[in-house]
Amino acid sequence: MSFTVEPLAPDTVVIRMGEALDFRNADDFKSTFQDQIDADVRNFVLDFSKTAVLDSTGLGSIFSLYRQISPDDGQVAFADVSRPVQVVVQLTRTYKVFRQFPTVDAAEDALISA
Amino acid sequence: MAEHAILVVEDDSTVRELLRYRLDKQYDVLTAANGEDALDKIEEQVPDLIVSDIMMPKMDGFALQSALQADKNTRVIPFIFLTARADERARREGARTGVDDYITKPFDMEQLLSRIERLLERMQVFQTQLGAEIGRDFSQRLLPNALPDVDDYRLCYESEARQQGGGDLFDWTRTDDDTFFLTIGDVMGKGLRAKFYAFTFLSYVRGTLHTLLKESTSPAAVMGEINDMLLNDDVLNDTFASFLLLHWDPAAHQVTYANAGHCRPVLVSETDVRIATHSDLILGLEEDTSFTDTTLDLALGTALLAYTDGLMEQPLRDGSLLGEEGIVDLAKPCRTSPAPIDDLLASALSVSDRSAFQDDVLALWLQRHDGDVPPTC
Repeated sequence: MSFTVEPLAPDTVVIRMGEALDFRNADDFKSTFQDQIDADVRNFVLDFSKTAVLDSTGLGSIFSLYRQISPDDGQVAFADVSRPVQVVVQLTRTYKVFRQFPTVDAAEDALISA
Repeated sequence: MAEHAILVVEDDSTVRELLRYRLDKQYDVLTAANGEDALDKIEEQVPDLIVSDIMMPKMDGFALQSALQADKNTRVIPFIFLTARADERARREGARTGVDDYITKPFDMEQLLSRIERLLERMQVFQTQLGAEIGRDFSQRLLPNALPDVDDYRLCYESEARQQGGGDLFDWTRTDDDTFFLTIGDVMGKGLRAKFYAFTFLSYVRGTLHTLLKESTSPAAVMGEINDMLLNDDVLNDTFASFLLLHWDPAAHQVTYANAGHCRPVLVSETDVRIATHSDLILGLEEDTSFTDTTLDLALGTALLAYTDGLMEQPLRDGSLLGEEGIVDLAKPCRTSPAPIDDLLASALSVSDRSAFQDDVLALWLQRHDGDVPPTC
């Protein structure tokens, strides 16, 4: 499975997360965001509107992304977070690190004007 | 799964390109024009199989094969010789240690393809078996052989490891003043890699506890140290883990815990079931994360249940997951059961649409006795 990436600004993209991010496709997600980091993208909006499954391997891959861009003041924002993803975010207390927005547009406004 | 990489070593460019063309459909093909060139390529990327000519300028196939045999990292790469020299002498020399097959030119392409496939398959089976064996060994080492035996309490735990499971861990330590440190964690990731990191990680945690317990019995303080280690250690960098550290004082009937993004423990008493809600950020994500201790009083007959996410993520018949609410419901009747964890896991499976757990499952039950509670479990 591949992930769709859409540019929002020169250093900002939105990644459509699809139905699942888990141990089966976490490596695909890693190579997707790695290409963007190599192209100097530093802000990532992750669109979770359709995501029914986020397991710990999947979440770990998002952490890897965060660890790479946070030294450059990059951000990872969660947009339109589905209920299953919300459960994981609550449990791991990662809402303290990843800002959440009701929609991709809201995330875009906040990240680009910042 | 990624395609297998095959290195073709052949000085005749026509044969080389023909091989590349045919193999390219199924494999990731690398090529080299002689033995020296091949060693350079192998330095860059270790292939899964090598097909090599014998007679070549600079370094021939025999010299290449000997060089690979001398290095433990390349010794096991399946090796097929391809040669025009069909005579017995070459065959004898070719039939040396570490050569898996010997094919004479002009060769039948289909025959070569089927031999490559068979060799790769054999290698795969071998690796899978080895992986499963190491995985089982790690799983066992991530769990204790025995549990503390303490008056007025019963303690039980159950763990089921899946091969595709991750790095669940559980450990305990007795302190000098007869209190206990219980450690439950889940290192993110799946399979052997996660188990290996969990194993490395647990060794570090044991060491840290041993040192820190001389100064403090605060789980939060230990948690802070572990977080710093994960962020700064070269081996464990990019490793994330949820962790629950419990300091249990049986004489005071108290448990003090710090929780780094782990499944929240559940308290089951005679009158109600409640979740120990406080928790902090998962380990390995941010420097200077602050962790807080929370103390729970264990009244007569009260049990504390701690577990890993495999239990919570068990799918139910309606497609949703068991979740924290589901576990709270199932835990209630276990308080007076002679085998609380067995009953909990059995009832989790009975509401699930599967006959087995999908992931590693680990659960711990710590309960203070009263008249109604069976003495052991």
